[in-house]
Amino acid sequence: MTIDTDNGARQRVDQHGDRSRTDSGTGEGRGAPAWLLVTRREVLAKLTDRTFLLGTAVMVALIVGFMGVQAWQSESTSTYTVVATADAVPMAEAVAEQAPSIDDTVEVEVDEVADEGAARAALRADADAWLHPGDDGWVLTTESGEEAGLTRVVETVVRQEVLDDNASEAGVSLAQLERGTQVSPAFLEGDAEKAGFAHAVGFAFVFLFYIAALLFGMQLASSVIEEKQSRIVEIIAAAIPLRQLLAGKILGNTVLALLQVLVYVAVGLVGMAFTPYKTYVAGITGPVAWFVLFFVAGFIALACLWAVAGSLASRTEDLQATTTPLTVAIMGVFFAGLFLDGRGQVVASFVPPLSAVVMPQRILAGTAEWWEPLVALALLAAFALVTVRIGERVYRRALMRTGGRVSLRQAWSTAE
Amino acid sequence: MLEIRELTRRFGTTTAVDRVTFDVPAGQMTGFVGGNGAGKTTTMRMVMGVLGIDAGEVRWDGRPITRLDRRTFGYMPEERGLYPKQPILDQLVYLAQLKGMPGRAARREATLLLEGFGLGDRTRDHLEKLSLGNQQRVQIVAAVLPRPAALVLDEPFSGLDPAAVDSMADLLRDYTRDGVPVLFSSHQLDLVERLCDRLVVLSSGRVVAAGSVGELRESGTPRFRLVGGADAGWVRDLRGVDVLDVEGGDVLFEVNEPGAEQGVIAEAARRGTVHEFGRVRPALSDIYREVTA
Repeated sequence: MTIDTDNGARQRVDQHGDRSRTDSGTGEGRGAPAWLLVTRREVLAKLTDRTFLLGTAVMVALIVGFMGVQAWQSESTSTYTVVATADAVPMAEAVAEQAPSIDDTVEVEVDEVADEGAARAALRADADAWLHPGDDGWVLTTESGEEAGLTRVVETVVRQEVLDDNASEAGVSLAQLERGTQVSPAFLEGDAEKAGFAHAVGFAFVFLFYIAALLFGMQLASSVIEEKQSRIVEIIAAAIPLRQLLAGKILGNTVLALLQVLVYVAVGLVGMAFTPYKTYVAGITGPVAWFVLFFVAGFIALACLWAVAGSLASRTEDLQATTTPLTVAIMGVFFAGLFLDGRGQVVASFVPPLSAVVMPQRILAGTAEWWEPLVALALLAAFALVTVRIGERVYRRALMRTGGRVSLRQAWSTAE
Repeated sequence: MLEIRELTRRFGTTTAVDRVTFDVPAGQMTGFVGGNGAGKTTTMRMVMGVLGIDAGEVRWDGRPITRLDRRTFGYMPEERGLYPKQPILDQLVYLAQLKGMPGRAARREATLLLEGFGLGDRTRDHLEKLSLGNQQRVQIVAAVLPRPAALVLDEPFSGLDPAAVDSMADLLRDYTRDGVPVLFSSHQLDLVERLCDRLVVLSSGRVVAAGSVGELRESGTPRFRLVGGADAGWVRDLRGVDVLDVEGGDVLFEVNEPGAEQGVIAEAARRGTVHEFGRVRPALSDIYREVTA
């Protein structure tokens, strides 16, 4: 008797119930490999999950918002109204003219007033300052507090103008007088602003890794326990090797985490182009690429352990207990990324999984030799390989154990 | 044919399954009964390869079973639940694909089977939105996609109402008719008696009875019942019989020597009227109670 299985494979069943496959049977080696099917399901299930999409959107909105605030702060200018009597108008107009070149956030408008009384009245109304000659130089009168931005601009312009006049009177040009007085800034330790920027980006790296490792890790662990608890894993285990299930789950979550982090990084970099830090964007693309590599290796190393944590539980309620060691470890990585410096940072930048966040920071700060990231990445990848191997063994054994939480020792030594 | 040979599994110091041997012939429904903790689920998990085997073997087609063979089996594990928060059709297609079925064929077949269960309009619903009975129907669809070479079902009827039991049984018969061996476990003896061709009774990890329902009822010491006019106490004095119960002219006895019952009926006819004489076949539940006691 022949049963057409309707899937392209034909199975022969003879009188004795003997059956032999006439081709590769129901599909081993045909179509997509099992791990790829699992990966696809993990990714699709997540991409159609409203919570996940919403979370990502909120994060993107936060980054955009942060960049927007930065850009807005640098763009916003203050316009000051300066009143002056006729004799002081030329000086006030010189201030108005030169203000943008001294401080691009300061804009000055000049209002001419008839006399001192009118000037005082204008100040009490809506003028910001009154520029007038004093006994010894010039006076910038405001209603009460000093307007720092305006004062700096006025000081510079007045000084320049008066110097110019004085120089002419003395029969020399200002340029001659100023020759050799220029002081150019130079930094032995590098630009403090740039260093601050590197620090901020480094913090962003640590934060992104921490969030991804924790959120995706937790999701991975709970999807493992979901499969174990519902016993769907038994159906899957009868169909494909568990190794492939694990590989697919880890790969799927890694792809998702990577996609998400790439979106964040892209939005961040593009947004940065609209902020005063735009000049640094070109300089950090290299470190960002390194960060992505370290992120992937570090994520895979931890992902396998998360899967183990999930498989050790027997119900969702146990997850809290089985994932605690990992949560603590990831906190450790987080704090190492935030607080280590000097020798401690150098050592940590080679120690997996700390290196996942510490080395990118050193690359950013420019304190790593060219070979150091390569060595650290190799060590991290080796570490990932070890956790995957150990994790696979424990996962396979713990997954089929029911009735209560499984200890690591039991899972390791138990027969399959 | 699926053959289970001397299958043994220990958990620590307890032996959950102890040298279990039985057959699941092609085209027959084999019921697997036994109390809680008798070892049914453990045995089925070993058959499906999701639990390691300490000793013994599972044979398929007359040779040791391989992973590829098991891949063609349909399996329904003990606790129900696929992915609760995924549309039912999607996960059925996914599981069928894992077994090597092309996606399009899986989608078509799964839709047909769901329609057969009256779930044609719910294919996009999340599993958790369905009633328990309907979830179970989805579960059986998962087991029979792609068309299985054998079916191993752990408690497929639990939680189903009588109508659902009938439609599930009809579905299973479709497969046995095509020569598929079906092994299913159950607590419900009446159901097993009604549906099964064969029966395997497990107690404390051992097979205590196995065979067709008829064979089991015929097995054991034959029992007869005689109802005559006068007091039947005299039966006790005959050779080759053991009297179990006497009440006036009504006697129930076991025969130790083949043919001894003929002596009883001849003697009864000589002594007077015989109202009734016949073989007493125990109900399945009696056999079950006896073998698991």
